[in-house]
Amino acid sequence: MPIPKEIVDWNILNEIVSMDEDDPEFSKGLVIQYFDQAETTFEQMQTNLEGAGDLKSLANLGHFLKGSSAALGLQRIAWVCERIQNLGRKKENRFPGKEYLVYQSPVEMPKPGDYVDTRIPNSQDDSFYLKLICEALEQARYEFSLARKELSAYYGAEL
Amino acid sequence: MNSNKSNDTDISRTSTSTSIGAATASTKASSNDFVRKLFGILERGEYSDIVRWTESGDSFVVLDTGKFTTQILPNHFKHSNFASFVRQLNKYDFHKVKKTPEERQTSQYGELSWEFKHPFFTRHNEEALDNIKRKTTVQRKILLDENAIVLQSNDQQGLQDKSTVNLILSNTVTREKFNSLKRKVERLQKDLDFAKEERYAAKLEFQKLNAKYNTIVESFLTFKNVNDGLINNFNQLCSMLSSRGFDLPQNFYDQIDVGNNLNKTVNIDQKLAKPYDLSNANAMVPGTLQNTPDAEATNLSLPLQDVTAKPVPEVESDGQSALTDGFHVLLVEDDAVCIQLCSKFLRKYGCTVEVVTDGLSAISTLEKFRYDLVLMDIVMPNLDGATATSIVRSFDNHTPIIAMTGNIEDQDLITYLQHGMNDILAKPFTKDDLHSMLIRYLRGRVPLSKQQLEKQPQVQTRPQSQAHSELQSQGQTQSQTQSMAQARPPLQSHHSIQSISGSVSQPPSTSVSEGDVKILIEDEPLLKKQRV
Repeated sequence: MPIPKEIVDWNILNEIVSMDEDDPEFSKGLVIQYFDQAETTFEQMQTNLEGAGDLKSLANLGHFLKGSSAALGLQRIAWVCERIQNLGRKKENRFPGKEYLVYQSPVEMPKPGDYVDTRIPNSQDDSFYLKLICEALEQARYEFSLARKELSAYYGAEL
Repeated sequence: MNSNKSNDTDISRTSTSTSIGAATASTKASSNDFVRKLFGILERGEYSDIVRWTESGDSFVVLDTGKFTTQILPNHFKHSNFASFVRQLNKYDFHKVKKTPEERQTSQYGELSWEFKHPFFTRHNEEALDNIKRKTTVQRKILLDENAIVLQSNDQQGLQDKSTVNLILSNTVTREKFNSLKRKVERLQKDLDFAKEERYAAKLEFQKLNAKYNTIVESFLTFKNVNDGLINNFNQLCSMLSSRGFDLPQNFYDQIDVGNNLNKTVNIDQKLAKPYDLSNANAMVPGTLQNTPDAEATNLSLPLQDVTAKPVPEVESDGQSALTDGFHVLLVEDDAVCIQLCSKFLRKYGCTVEVVTDGLSAISTLEKFRYDLVLMDIVMPNLDGATATSIVRSFDNHTPIIAMTGNIEDQDLITYLQHGMNDILAKPFTKDDLHSMLIRYLRGRVPLSKQQLEKQPQVQTRPQSQAHSELQSQGQTQSQTQSMAQARPPLQSHHSIQSISGSVSQPPSTSVSEGDVKILIEDEPLLKKQRV
């Protein structure tokens, strides 16, 4: 599945916003909590990449953030997190170039199969995947800034 | 009651024999040679590492049955193996001292020791050995012999004694007969009790199998739905790709055909669909049928009716009305955002929510309290949700446990179900996805908290706001219900489900109508969702 075109899946977020009826600020509080959590997770990934370089923990961090991102409908971040998860598990061995990943990119996203290049042997050592995760993390932070901008605009406050 | 009676007979037997034959110890010695030999060995203590008196001296213990068989039996007894030695002991009314497995482990004589006891077989008390005699069938003959001996040795006292002895003898014989009849009746009673117990166990077993069967059928439906969804997606993908001018290799289309064929065969099967057949049922539940005469064919068809009937009202119902308030849900999730969101949804549907954040705490919480439903994340610190579930299933087979996960690849799904999870709620899920899951597992059920209210009307529970006070009141009655649940034999392992599944795979496809499957598919949250 290519990266989603829209930052927010409003079908999902609207449902959460509708819960504000009997609990004002519920959705906003949740979004703020998510932003804190995402930043913490990014820091943990960064520390891991610069230090231990443990693919398994990176995959778990990716999985973790994928869950809460998707729960709020932040589908582009969730997508990047899934790449990190799969790279950490060595299930994918490519990360698409920036030209495909820019917001509202005019370039058609490659097919899902292109994330796995069968010519690259499985025996690649960890540093190969760590480098790709570095790229993915950069992309995730970019997506995060987009999401923060969009949601700040939506709530009319700096989040 | 039983033990009392046998004591009576013991006493009456020994008392008559002593009264008749006090003067005939020498002859009697030969009649329990076996016991005296054993007594001698124990008194001399020559094999104290193999067999010896216990500390109290009122029983003896065989520490090493192997050495006993190889070293003692050939030299002192005519028994060739330990079992026949034990049989002989039993004939002399020795009894093995029964021990629970725990007692065995802590026994000072070792786990494999055998302890035997006879009321007259005690340390340093050779005289009491006179009272030890062979039992029952031989009994009467010995008594007659003794009678003869008594008559010979006492012939000076003549007729008077003879008539007394005769009186005693005739009395003894009738008593013997009486006792044997009594024993027979007792044995019959015991057999009857045993048969009753067996029947009850079989009934339980049957109900359990029914429940398992239900679960399996449901899992299969889920599998089918997932599979159909995948094929659909695949078809869409292929048509999309080809519409955009991508050349698809021929074998891609072949695969689609396989999918269509599959659907076709299912359809054909559905045409043949009939009410559940008794002959099938026999094959499915071997052996249990005869034991449970009240489980008629109509009962056997129930599970399938359940399954097929279930989805229909789901569509008719407008949703919320179908679910009662007050269900107590355990949410196992490590992500703060998901916790907030999910518990918000649950409360919206009138549930009370308890949250734990890893697999280990989930296990310890479920050991202490019962919940109407458990929602379990898979990837968590300390212990993952699937493993946690398989441990929970060792003591709780009843609480529905739903996996919440973003990993919905086929292999993962199978793993979760094999670990004893009932269903899968794919992340991210909408309020409606969650609701249909609640409906599927809680509809028509009375929340545990309200079940307890019926039993204990004085306990006030306010499901909406006061989850904690409710939990406490629940905790008190919990221990009872929990212990009941534990008393039931736990599911052997989830492999047993797998092993049945082979034989069950046929019925679901034949007896679930096409419409039902469609409804289920519409209801299946997994299929409405694109993978993230």
